[in-house]
Amino acid sequence: MDAPRALGVTTRTDSVAAADGQQSALRPTNVAAVRDIVRDAIDHETRLRIVGRGTWLDAGRPVTDAQALSLDALSGIIDYTPGDLTLTARAGTTLAEISAATAAHGQWLALAPWGGDAGSLGATAATATAGPMSGALGTPRDIVIGLEAVTGTGDVVRGGGKVVKNVAGFDLTRLMVGAWGTLGILTEVSVRLRALPEREATVAVAAPNAAPPLSDLLTRLRSAAVAPLAAEILSASLAARLGLGDGALLLVRLAGNAEVVAAQRDALHALAEATDIGSDVWNTLRGSDAGESTTIRFSSSVARFPELWASANRLASSGGGHAHGSVLRSVCRVVLPDVEGTLPVAVLDLLRAGTRDVRIFERLPAPLWSSLAPSPVGDRLSRGVRNAFDPRELLNPGILGEDRT
Amino acid sequence: MTTPPDLAARLTDIVGARGVLTRSSELVVFRSDGLPGYSKHPRLAVFPRTRDELIAIVRLLAEHRVPFVPRGAGTGLSGGALADDVVLIGLNRLTRILSIDPVERLAVVEPGVVNVALTRAATPYDLHYAPDPSSQAACTIGGNVAENAGGPHCLKYGVTLNHVRAITAILPDGDIVRLGNADGEADGYDLLGAFVGSEGCFGIALDVTVRLSPNPQAIRTLLADFTSIDAAARATSDIIASGIVPAALEMMDGPTIRAVEASIYAAGYPVDADAILLIEVDGLAAGLETDVARIEAMCTHAGARTVRIARDDAERARLWQGRKKAFGAMGRVSSHLVVQDAVIPRTRLPDVLAKIHEIAERQRITVCNVFHAGDGNLHPNIGYDANDPDEHERVQVAMREIMAACVAAGGTITGEHGIGLDKLDYMSLIFSNDSLAAMCRLREVFDPDRRANPGKVVPVHSCREWHGAPRSSWSA
Repeated sequence: MDAPRALGVTTRTDSVAAADGQQSALRPTNVAAVRDIVRDAIDHETRLRIVGRGTWLDAGRPVTDAQALSLDALSGIIDYTPGDLTLTARAGTTLAEISAATAAHGQWLALAPWGGDAGSLGATAATATAGPMSGALGTPRDIVIGLEAVTGTGDVVRGGGKVVKNVAGFDLTRLMVGAWGTLGILTEVSVRLRALPEREATVAVAAPNAAPPLSDLLTRLRSAAVAPLAAEILSASLAARLGLGDGALLLVRLAGNAEVVAAQRDALHALAEATDIGSDVWNTLRGSDAGESTTIRFSSSVARFPELWASANRLASSGGGHAHGSVLRSVCRVVLPDVEGTLPVAVLDLLRAGTRDVRIFERLPAPLWSSLAPSPVGDRLSRGVRNAFDPRELLNPGILGEDRT
Repeated sequence: MTTPPDLAARLTDIVGARGVLTRSSELVVFRSDGLPGYSKHPRLAVFPRTRDELIAIVRLLAEHRVPFVPRGAGTGLSGGALADDVVLIGLNRLTRILSIDPVERLAVVEPGVVNVALTRAATPYDLHYAPDPSSQAACTIGGNVAENAGGPHCLKYGVTLNHVRAITAILPDGDIVRLGNADGEADGYDLLGAFVGSEGCFGIALDVTVRLSPNPQAIRTLLADFTSIDAAARATSDIIASGIVPAALEMMDGPTIRAVEASIYAAGYPVDADAILLIEVDGLAAGLETDVARIEAMCTHAGARTVRIARDDAERARLWQGRKKAFGAMGRVSSHLVVQDAVIPRTRLPDVLAKIHEIAERQRITVCNVFHAGDGNLHPNIGYDANDPDEHERVQVAMREIMAACVAAGGTITGEHGIGLDKLDYMSLIFSNDSLAAMCRLREVFDPDRRANPGKVVPVHSCREWHGAPRSSWSA
């Protein structure tokens, strides 16, 4: 399609569109331009591939034959009053920019999602990408308090607001966070912030691999006088990759005032063989996925975590990859390298076997999506919601595996 | 509404004669909720005792396309549970706690379980249900889900939605759906997030799976008293900005304090204060006294005359009782009461409270402020006599002016009470026509006929047809 002659749209021919084919990406600089692009797309039946900062384009099912719409030029913090502990930014604003602005006031967006800070706030909200602290401090669905979006009908809508407590109207915010752009193109996002902890410490505990002793360790952790900010278990392969030795580890992140951090640290040392390590390990861990092709999340009830971890570990070792698991939420993530656009047979066998655990695929070699990952939006209500907000399925078509017949 | 002439008989077949009310004299108590200013008469009321009865009722109403209003304990403060000549479904007999799992820290409950009853049932496991609306001794979990209810301790622990993991719901057309997932992550659209807070317009919860929270190792409750509201507001802003996250941070002004102290809920608040802060911190015992000392210092710095720390559980309970029963205590002052629920950015507390004071003076009314200061959730209460037309009019003007001031400060019109009927007119202050129309479309996904809690939340005139595809294309 021709670039719309809308105010505020710039186009370029370099790397932004590379992942989506030959066409150059549209790069609107304001919400009116986004709206005009969508209205133009409706008129021309053009599908749109929504791109944030383009750092994670291999996530989700492939979106084919679509015009790239990049939000990188729709960027910048709009509203930040530190005393309110809230911040509003345009969707293309990087997490790094938010982090720098808030750190200057002793605050942070306490989300630290997997993948690092080069990605955008909009994409983080659209994909509801969480990180190791989300068991204690919430996921994007808890942290995003308001947003503005352009729906697939070309309407600019707002949900929520800029205050930390809000029940006005039906919750468009919750609905759009984690919808992968299929209900609306997020253009502005408001989030709640927290004060940076006065003190921090990270303790590494040797983690047993077998389920029964791991279960015992986690039971003792749960009844100990600790309230961790994060508790993440790493496979031996991941620990080695991060230079943390050659065995599986449980990393526990502690925060608070000096006394409560010291008391929790002591409690952990009393619980198991423990080592104090630097808290910068959390940033290294967040970026540890780069380069691989496959990421799968497994989740279960809390009591089943040791079994969940065992099966995640099995999968990681049979695929030559690594695994980590958030103990507080009972979510494991397995990261695997691909072999010529597919996965090893042993891995595929494990993935095709039945399971009672929830599997969510973040990244997969393209040909495997249809056989391994059923669509999570095939039910009556989800189809109705899509139809209400993007009836022509122009926004990121196919990214959630929706039936496009 | 057009009801089949034998509807009452058909409902009686389902629930028995004691479960259907049709006489005006029996229905009179359902004419209002926690707000005494409204009066809407239900056509009839039906009270299922079991899940199967509830399902049969909803399906019968669907068959005849009869509108209905679900109602829990009727403690809401937005007119949300009023049935205007339609069927009222009372859920307060569905009171079973279906399971408590202390390892998973989850409970499954029927919608009519009273909020505090769940905490009582969880107490033997050293757990509690965190959302604690002031009406918790009466309000139901189903009602809390409908309103996405808050409460003082939501400052640290989050509102109802943050504690609901899954819901089995019956949609207005009789279909039963499962929303969310209690055994792992929920993939796809956050339909659970959309359902919680939908004020009974999306369907009725048959069961709710909620998170239970471990009781904190230690709790400290402080009472700081101030000779000006402004000083208390500044102390609040300082505490929030300091990074300490109190479990609760509540403010009450002079008129509220005096109403409470004159009532049976007297808590020992200083009656000559212009404002008090009730501040609670909890968590691990280590380091807690340091936080208490910092808060004490911040209050003193802002001008507190005294800061008192509750010595024991009994004193703590007494301090909280005064706060939670404050609305009740105001019943002594006047016959009618209206209450706002706006939320403002927390740095704006001092100037918005001053503005509310100015509006009250100008309109010659008494505003009592008792509210969740920590998250900026104001509850200006105005007691008045509705039989005095002049006073009634001044109160209405003041309410609109207060709401406009809160919105102008960057706030929202309701933090925890919901829109219901009471705040319908304010929706266009904060949402554009396109946003309101989007909300209508969302409602129609769950309830294409808009039969569930008709006329609430989104003004009807906003529900213009979108240029979306026709409805029939998605119906399964």
